[in-house]
Amino acid sequence: MKSLRFVAGRAVQGVIVMAGVSLIVFFALFLTGDPAAVMMPPDANRAEIEAFRHAMGYDDPILVQYLRFVGGVASGDFGRSLRFQRPAFDLLFERLPATALLAVTALLWSSLLGFVLGTLAAVRKNGAIDFAIRVISLLGQAVPVFWLGLLLIIVFSLKLRWLPSGGIGTPAQLVMPSLALGAYYFSAITRLVRASLIEVLGENYIRTARAKGTSEWRIVVHHAMRNALIPVITVQGMYFASLLGGALITEIIFAWPGIGRLAVDSIQTKDFPVVQAVVLFAAFVFVVTNFLVDVAHVFLNPRVRL
Amino acid sequence: MRSFQRVALSLALLLLPLFPASAKESAITIARSVSTTAMDPGFLREAATIVDNVFDTLVMRDADMKLVPGLAVAWRPLDDTTWEFDLRKDVKFHDGEVFDANAVKFTIDRILDPKANSPTLSYIRTIASVEVVTPYTVRVKTSGPDPLLPTRMSRYPTYIVPPRYVQEVGNDVFAAKPVGTGPYAFVEFVPDRHVILQANPDYWRGRPAIDRVTWRAIPDGTARITALLTGEADIVENVPVDLAPMVEQSPDADLVSVRNGGLTVYLGLVMKDAPLDELKVRQALDAAIDRKGIVDNILRGMATPKGTQVGPADFGYVDIPPTPYDPEKARALLKEAGHPDGFTVKMQSTHRYMKDGEVAQAIAQQFGDVGVKVDLEVLDWSVYTQQVPHTGPIFMLGWGSTQTLDADAAVYAIMKSGEPYSAANVPELDALLDESRSIVDPERRRSVLEKIQKVAAETVPLLTLYQEDALYGKAKDVEFVGRPDARIPVYEIRRADAE
Repeated sequence: MKSLRFVAGRAVQGVIVMAGVSLIVFFALFLTGDPAAVMMPPDANRAEIEAFRHAMGYDDPILVQYLRFVGGVASGDFGRSLRFQRPAFDLLFERLPATALLAVTALLWSSLLGFVLGTLAAVRKNGAIDFAIRVISLLGQAVPVFWLGLLLIIVFSLKLRWLPSGGIGTPAQLVMPSLALGAYYFSAITRLVRASLIEVLGENYIRTARAKGTSEWRIVVHHAMRNALIPVITVQGMYFASLLGGALITEIIFAWPGIGRLAVDSIQTKDFPVVQAVVLFAAFVFVVTNFLVDVAHVFLNPRVRL
Repeated sequence: MRSFQRVALSLALLLLPLFPASAKESAITIARSVSTTAMDPGFLREAATIVDNVFDTLVMRDADMKLVPGLAVAWRPLDDTTWEFDLRKDVKFHDGEVFDANAVKFTIDRILDPKANSPTLSYIRTIASVEVVTPYTVRVKTSGPDPLLPTRMSRYPTYIVPPRYVQEVGNDVFAAKPVGTGPYAFVEFVPDRHVILQANPDYWRGRPAIDRVTWRAIPDGTARITALLTGEADIVENVPVDLAPMVEQSPDADLVSVRNGGLTVYLGLVMKDAPLDELKVRQALDAAIDRKGIVDNILRGMATPKGTQVGPADFGYVDIPPTPYDPEKARALLKEAGHPDGFTVKMQSTHRYMKDGEVAQAIAQQFGDVGVKVDLEVLDWSVYTQQVPHTGPIFMLGWGSTQTLDADAAVYAIMKSGEPYSAANVPELDALLDESRSIVDPERRRSVLEKIQKVAAETVPLLTLYQEDALYGKAKDVEFVGRPDARIPVYEIRRADAE
């Protein structure tokens, strides 16, 4: 009963967050002005600009525009892109596979490597290996992705000619963008696994296991890892949700046809319906992921249920 | 590391078939900085670069930018407001539909329809109606005298579209799967990835030399140049000034620089408010700018200092030398105007032109040298366009006439008071600008357009800085020279070792 109430509460919270996001998206865009100035050709006269405003409904009171927007979204209509002259949601969905492929690849390698190096660092705490791993993961988090992306292009495309500079279609084209995008997550996961594992390794039940004479690797893999992974998996859920919203800079640099690039192009050209669709979609994925993680915790971790 | 090398190499080998190294296939890849959104020439919200290869216009421009017959073999004005066009009789659209006078009428009516809300209506707003006289003769009636009508028929939105196909599939499908009469037929469009075109073997000007064209969008400058230098692309648009030397020094690529092929960058002045309402103040600011220094040092010589907004290739151009750099004179003029200690003024700029940030900084400093303290504000383009030309009071903008190659496009919209992009307010100029749009006779029109530029130089409604070069990069084996009108007609491109 309690769990059910908890889940229902979280669901209501999610709906409230989405309503808030829709308000912010709409009014924040409204504050930056209407799209006529950017969308109309430079030699359009006042009458033509006004005609465009009227046709698009930008001359209606803002509240009317907002209600129309919410009404549309509620019935699955995010409006038509001003640039593409197509439904905004279709544009987003076309680009979802590319973004998802990049997100999964980046998260996969960064998680695997992060687990291995994080564990190694925790086991060899304060040793040379730990030091080296900490430096690498610090660098990975400190280096901006645009810099890393360009560096990869210059080294592996321009100088060594091993990899194509961008685009999508072959596995080789996936290498650099997923490296650039995953660098941050790799570092974050390494550090998190290390910290979490070190904490668990200090617990009483681990000491008991050691006292029984269990081998160190068995302790780490069988006893400590399970508990150490709870926060890591939560964080990964969040990372994946944010990555599905599109990797803005990575997608631009590597000419990757994903949601992030669509978002940047749409913001620059004030293609309101597309910007709104992308932001709402990203928020939706985030809220749903958060909700699922919360629900999973209810069933996995008895302490949450209290 | 070695195993990674092996993986990368084997991946590269897998990729080889995707990048045809052999020129025999005569394929070409062109990388642009912007993505294609739609290809309906009547409703374009972007440059017509790709569309230009799929469709034809009634009138065309040759490599010297002269108007030459296209789908029309001849044209003539019948009176001040009627133009007659004789059409080609042997032309078919890519899907077999016949090109005739109906197609011309359909093309233009479709854009003029107020319900259609075409974003490019402004380019042909002078057209009142189109009349089919015979299957291969059309008359275009304008609402007033329009000397530029043949030019309007040489660019978008008047690329001729197939009526039957457009009506059958609707505008949305047409924009994604265009059918024209041009040298290349549409094959595939994957948004943000590529547009592929195939040579039209029955093209009325003869079969194109290049069989297949792939247009890619690579937004990042470094990635775009890398694609050129590694052979992933054969031609790239928009070479960033800083990366131009990399292209020049490459053994595999050349820099193609089209003198005066870009925008003319100027500082707009909101003339209605003090102190920019005073002529001497405007003249002082004009003399305070070291145009040559900016072009040589910041733009690496890839622009030309100018004294008029009109381009040298434009109809009506008059050679007005750039205002000489004379800080002494600037200070004296400020003193005469009653500002011996100068004043403080806000200047706005954006990120859109060659090294615009550094140029704006340099000018702010040069103004400072004569006592005018500049408060520089740099805004994102989407915000900037809504403040220009009202906020300023000094703002940087680039303006071009490369699409029409006529002085009108270079001056009217930014010098006529009340136009959306104009902050100028000179009654004498307004009268001349209006007059220029009512004359059909070319020689009389030329003299008015020349006068406009001379009056502008005297009254300084804005500060003309320089005209950018258009910078392209191309693979060594590709013959491509670039055009002043910024088009990339693949029909004119050759591969050196192709048959």
